[in-house]
Amino acid sequence: MNKIKLLFFATIRDRAGTKTLELDIPFDLTIQGLKDKLSKDYPNLKESMKSVLITINREYAFDEAVVPANAEVALFPPVSGG
Amino acid sequence: MQPSYVPTIFFITESEIDLNDLLGQITQTSTGAAAIFTGMVRGVTSRDNPHETEYLEYEAYIPMAEEKMKQVADEIHERWPVIEGIAIVQRIGRLYPKTPTVLIACTAAHRDTGVFDAARYGIDRLKEIVPVWKKEISPTGELWIEGDYIPKPGE
Repeated sequence: MNKIKLLFFATIRDRAGTKTLELDIPFDLTIQGLKDKLSKDYPNLKESMKSVLITINREYAFDEAVVPANAEVALFPPVSGG
Repeated sequence: MQPSYVPTIFFITESEIDLNDLLGQITQTSTGAAAIFTGMVRGVTSRDNPHETEYLEYEAYIPMAEEKMKQVADEIHERWPVIEGIAIVQRIGRLYPKTPTVLIACTAAHRDTGVFDAARYGIDRLKEIVPVWKKEISPTGELWIEGDYIPKPGE
């Protein structure tokens, strides 16, 4: 298993009820796999997983990407700065 | 002629944005023009869905936001090599109507160098890829504002 750190922002944080989460994940877990896992383990997040943006170590990451060990993975809605 | 040194400033702050200070930092002896975009909290909105805003609550994924602001500055350099200085600043926290929330400033030797387009590109790009969000608090309740841009691989 790999240890990773999850960070939640904006609506995703509100629904998760926490800013951060430490998680043990299988070595070959992809971003899609992570979304599926979160939808299952945290039903509140299921709806958010459809439009969520995900980053690995502060770069945008996509469904097929494998989550590396000790990754900082952030989940958030499309950005609205300015 | 391309400038040999281009001062580039990019940060997230909870403090007031000091335009004069930033402008001073991106002005070189060869600089003769600056295009500045600043956005502020709008208290009364009439377009699209008319409503009033009491304040906005901004938050950012700060380390990534600053990296992406640097990326936006790099993209500006690449597209407009004559730009002589770039400042990109996003303020976060609770911000009330009329308060400046973001500033993009680009400097160049002359105004016909693309400097206006460069600043425009900067704010458009910030709104696409820099991880900042705002929650709107109005007399009728709270609402997270969400963008609609989905970054592509490599962005």
